[in-house]
Amino acid sequence: MSDLKRTPLYASHIALGATMVDFGGWEMPIQYPEGIISEHLFDRKNCGIFDVSHMGRFIIEGKDRVKFLQRVLTSNVLALTPGRAQYCMLPTVTGGAVDDAYLYMFEEDKYMLVVNASNAEKDKKHLAQFLPEYNVQFTDVSESLSSIAVQGPEAEKILKIMSGGEEITGDKKNDLKIISLEGKTVYASKTGYTGDPIGWELFIDSGDAEWLWNRLIELGAKPTGLGARDTLRLEAGLPLYGHEMGTDAAGNEIPIFAVPLAKFAVSFDEEKGDFIAKDILLNQKENGTEKRMMPIRLIDRGVMRAGMDIYFEGKHVGWVTSGTMVPYYEFDKDGNITENTGKRSIGFAYVDSNVTKKDIIEIDVRGRRLKAKGVIKHLNQAEPPYAKAVLPKEK
Amino acid sequence: MNFPKDLKYAASHEWVKIENGIATVGISDFAQDALGDVVYVSLPNVGDKVKAGISFGDVESVKAVSDLLSPVSGVVCEVNEELADAPENLNSDPYGAWIIKVEAIEEEGDLMDAEAYEAHCAEEE
Repeated sequence: MSDLKRTPLYASHIALGATMVDFGGWEMPIQYPEGIISEHLFDRKNCGIFDVSHMGRFIIEGKDRVKFLQRVLTSNVLALTPGRAQYCMLPTVTGGAVDDAYLYMFEEDKYMLVVNASNAEKDKKHLAQFLPEYNVQFTDVSESLSSIAVQGPEAEKILKIMSGGEEITGDKKNDLKIISLEGKTVYASKTGYTGDPIGWELFIDSGDAEWLWNRLIELGAKPTGLGARDTLRLEAGLPLYGHEMGTDAAGNEIPIFAVPLAKFAVSFDEEKGDFIAKDILLNQKENGTEKRMMPIRLIDRGVMRAGMDIYFEGKHVGWVTSGTMVPYYEFDKDGNITENTGKRSIGFAYVDSNVTKKDIIEIDVRGRRLKAKGVIKHLNQAEPPYAKAVLPKEK
Repeated sequence: MNFPKDLKYAASHEWVKIENGIATVGISDFAQDALGDVVYVSLPNVGDKVKAGISFGDVESVKAVSDLLSPVSGVVCEVNEELADAPENLNSDPYGAWIIKVEAIEEEGDLMDAEAYEAHCAEEE
């Protein structure tokens, strides 16, 4: 794996005994010795930390920064005020996604765009096509700036020890703040990819990343690998590029509005003006898409995986785009977390839009047809500090 | 990593112990470690015929699915039903948590002793 890129935390991952894998050209920890299930559960009950330094981080500044971003992103950049972030997509000219991304406005006169690690080079090339038309400085700061996500019920307690009691950010999702943690400047964002109601993503000078990581571990957080990052986001119903965005199992582009989060990522506000694929996206929004993404749970015993065929009333209607078995904590009747855990088989289905959440669908799991069903959500995030598993009533 | 001397091993990481004409089959410590958390085991039925080197079921971890290949040819005479509810036993006790027992053994596949298997694993790592 010698030609793979490494984050500033590489040596820490090795020292912690992580299993390292190639992830989008990066040598990253898929899990630490305790394993994915234990890491997932610790995040839900305590606090997980994630090395997300492999993601692409771009700074966009200059006179035309707003015009440029309004053109290449789906969100309304003018809706952002300093201290706020927004979810967005980089649309293709045909209404699919080049990538999904987060746009941060930590300071008045510049934006930071964070993109998927595996797409960072592709995104740069894509954005470079439009740069010459604008007076914009585009700087890739992926190497000089590192990123660590701190998620779960105890995240606030741990970070407040480091901030000397100061609030890390405002209370709302997508609130940002530049804060000092034990004397080091940290860009904090109340965002995450776990579904935990409490959690931050922190940006810090790469030279200080290892210090921050070790300090968080000292204070009780637990390193969490990409394996648990995936089970946590799946449980939260969050899409992943390459699975729920990009192209489907037949090689066709997945329209942006097939993804449930699109409604938060795309703006047709008048002040946004024209942008790449605007008319196509508006058509997707108004008339729907042929297929759409649906979070599903397996009713029969087994595990579904990306690429498996889905049938409804005998007809092939789509594919599983993500799937595995994820663990959860049980809560007692008063809503308190218990020591008891269970597992459930969940995933995302990309199916014909006439298939509804009430329908029983069949998934071809290695030759066996297993029953599955759509759900509204797998996780209840409305009762902090915990994200609680939403389980089927018949259980 | 544990490689008990009294077992034989297949290159595909199943272990087998043949005693009194019955082959007890499981997956090795190396296999469970490589798979990570096991969350589901698809088991055959008693009476099913199994063939050396051919899949008799599969084991699913959070990360991936892996075929279970039979180390011997014969007939399934017992299935460890406990694994349906506690597949994680394959992680915590790989040599205690057997998967199937096979009788009427007709043939053994290419099997290794503990030493050869340990070397085989070292090569894969």
